[in-house]
Amino acid sequence: MSVEAKLIIKDLTHYYPDEYTGESVHALENINLQVYENEFVAIVGPSGCGKTTLLNIVAGLLPYRQGIATVDGIDISGPGPDRGVVFQEHAILPWRTVSKNIGHGLELQRLPKTEISRRVHEYIDLVGLTGFEDRYPHELSGGMKQRVAVARTLCADPVIMLMDEPFAAVDAQTRITLQDELNRIVMATRKTVLFITHSVEEAAFLGDRCIVFSRRPGQIKTEIKIQIPREERVWKDMSSNPIFTDARDEILRLVRQEVTSDDEQ
Amino acid sequence: MTSNNNVVSFRHKLKKFTTDGAGRLIIFLIGSIILWAFISLFIIERPDRYLPSPMAVILSSLDMLYKGSLISFYSDTLGRLVFGGIVGILIGIPIGLALGLNRTIADMFYPLMNFFQSVSGIAIFPVVVIWFGNSDTTVMIVILYTSFFPIAFNVLSGVRSVPVRYIQAARTLGASRLQIIRDVLLPGAMPSIAVGTRLSVGFAWRAVIAGEMLAGRPGLGNMIFSGQELDNTAQILLGMVMIGVTWIVLDHYLLRPLEADTIERWGLVQR
Amino acid sequence: MGAGAEMITYNRLSIALQKRFGRQRLRRMILGSIPFIVLIFLWELNTHFGWYDPIEIPPISAMWEAIFWLQSDCPGFVAAIEGHNDCNLSNNIISSIGRVILAAAVGIPLGVAFGVLAGINRVLSGYLEPVGIFMNSVSGIAWIPLAIVWFGVGWETTLFIMLNTIFWLIFFNTMMGVRAVPRVLVQGVQTLGGSRWDTIRHVYIPGALPSIITGMRMSLGFGWRALIAAEMIGGDSGLGFMIFVSAVEFKSEEVFLGVILISIIYLISDRWLLVPLEKWTVERWGLVWKPT
Repeated sequence: MSVEAKLIIKDLTHYYPDEYTGESVHALENINLQVYENEFVAIVGPSGCGKTTLLNIVAGLLPYRQGIATVDGIDISGPGPDRGVVFQEHAILPWRTVSKNIGHGLELQRLPKTEISRRVHEYIDLVGLTGFEDRYPHELSGGMKQRVAVARTLCADPVIMLMDEPFAAVDAQTRITLQDELNRIVMATRKTVLFITHSVEEAAFLGDRCIVFSRRPGQIKTEIKIQIPREERVWKDMSSNPIFTDARDEILRLVRQEVTSDDEQ
Repeated sequence: MTSNNNVVSFRHKLKKFTTDGAGRLIIFLIGSIILWAFISLFIIERPDRYLPSPMAVILSSLDMLYKGSLISFYSDTLGRLVFGGIVGILIGIPIGLALGLNRTIADMFYPLMNFFQSVSGIAIFPVVVIWFGNSDTTVMIVILYTSFFPIAFNVLSGVRSVPVRYIQAARTLGASRLQIIRDVLLPGAMPSIAVGTRLSVGFAWRAVIAGEMLAGRPGLGNMIFSGQELDNTAQILLGMVMIGVTWIVLDHYLLRPLEADTIERWGLVQR
Repeated sequence: MGAGAEMITYNRLSIALQKRFGRQRLRRMILGSIPFIVLIFLWELNTHFGWYDPIEIPPISAMWEAIFWLQSDCPGFVAAIEGHNDCNLSNNIISSIGRVILAAAVGIPLGVAFGVLAGINRVLSGYLEPVGIFMNSVSGIAWIPLAIVWFGVGWETTLFIMLNTIFWLIFFNTMMGVRAVPRVLVQGVQTLGGSRWDTIRHVYIPGALPSIITGMRMSLGFGWRALIAAEMIGGDSGLGFMIFVSAVEFKSEEVFLGVILISIIYLISDRWLLVPLEKWTVERWGLVWKPT
């Protein structure tokens, strides 16, 4: 591709001191990754492999020393509205209503009120929360809370959306619905997404490219392209799609390797 | 690589020492004493009157120790606290139990108790003085009055918080009313009793100081008050430090562990 | 016939009352008022039979008259509000409440500001936690002698005692509340482009609000008591000063009146101001906060 990538990570290596022993932990080793516009990249790997560390570095929540990380050509030096994050826990504010939460990013950018309410309405419709505008988060189910979190991130119009195991805390049935919906939303908004998960199925279902991480220190083991058009990615069709099942089985095998080799040690 | 690791772990150990409980407390204590000495020696005019230096306070304590008054004041105050606290709790528990067991009694006396609780022990002091004069009895009544309410209210809510299922279960096993109280309600209310005990002792501590001050009975409260009258500010500061430290020690090493242990042991406090 | 009509009116009245207040609440209201009535009855009997001396337990009528006696030289309602010199009782009430309001107006913002600053920085809050514990342990009352040395007998001393109690409680509760705010909420706002100030305004302060309100209730509880004590020992006005002076002069009807006023003022401000505020935040935001 001749176009410049939206997110570029070059030779990124990261250590951090362990909270209890103080020994430095080697979390990431020589990561090279590019995410292009309108691409959905899923990172999958065994737990504790440094996926979340990588996402925190990209989000600007964790300072890094070795390597380069840029978004739209600008070095990452702290959190900013160009990189929206959907966290695993519900990070929406309990003292703000649904619409106030969704419009929060725009409010922080000091946009006029009429503009905010127009955009908020648009995203409330998009995530299917019409009628819940004035509810407080504690009145919503886990799935609905996560929809608010996604809408809040998208409404601020980031260059890239980072998602850190966003559906790990909801029940299986809701997860499938949310995955289908995320697909639809990404199609509609044409957003660039970096998605972190430990679920192989989820990665294969959502990602244009799946990046498999090795166990710690986290390294990119393989990259698998999944060439299924986004509009064909619906759960009821996917389970019989050979491209999906093959990719899923391949990723599963690679992740298994990491987990079992870990056990042998 | 190993040396690097050693440096990291040493720095971490240092960081751990400076951010952890004991290390932090030591640093805090030293820091605040230095700050106090600095303000006293270089900033304040007439420090002997407005803020004597830590050294002056230590000298004053040595002087009082030598004369024996410090220990006698301290033991007077502690004696009042222990006696008043224990008696207050012993009165409070059965009354709280009675209120918790019978809804009619509770509905009847709750508003009255609530009213008298808000009449603080300090406010009734002038009334008690009219009745008993500036005597030890007055101080003791004020202490009992303040320590009674927290424990009574906590026992009440503790008994109420025992799940009805437990009582029903005991009843189906053929337990009598007395057995239910002994085997279900009292153990179920234990965590609340512990919480109430801590609150009661805390309230009693304040009441002891205030009562001694107002009634002029010997003790820490009177020590700081007479320090003001005698223009001996070092004595006031010494008394204040002793009051604060005594409470911290009492709370952190006796009452809190007691509370935590009870809650853990009788652990049904998952409300 | 007449009795039957009476019965019907009685039933109607009873049903109307039950509908108005609810059966359980009505029962509780009636039961709860019985001890008060008995107590007042006994009090009145004591006056009648003279079991105890009027100096020990003054007649209720004398207490009632004391209100007018204390206000006897007061030129009128407007003068009472303005704090006319001769409006003895109302001046003392205004003086006590005024100090609470003044101390709250200064102490709460100050306590919140320092509490937030200390709470955001985990290392700093680790050092300041013992300060807070110590300052709250040296109870407000123990500060009275030192305050008299610093400010002399008068309103400055009493104001200082109240301010000191409010500040440390609000500071400590704000700090603890801020520390309990989940990190991810802060990170969420940061990744939306929020500045430090935005996270304070939108995350830390609302997140610590239930804790701050608990601190306000505690401040009123402890502060009001400390204020009364301070007025007794080191004040020259206020309800505490009034009852102390009256006790020295053995005017027990004034003492009883003062004590009842002190508790009524506390009860009203706690039940009708702070408890609803506490409930409101919890119900609206669904935050479960267990005051300790």
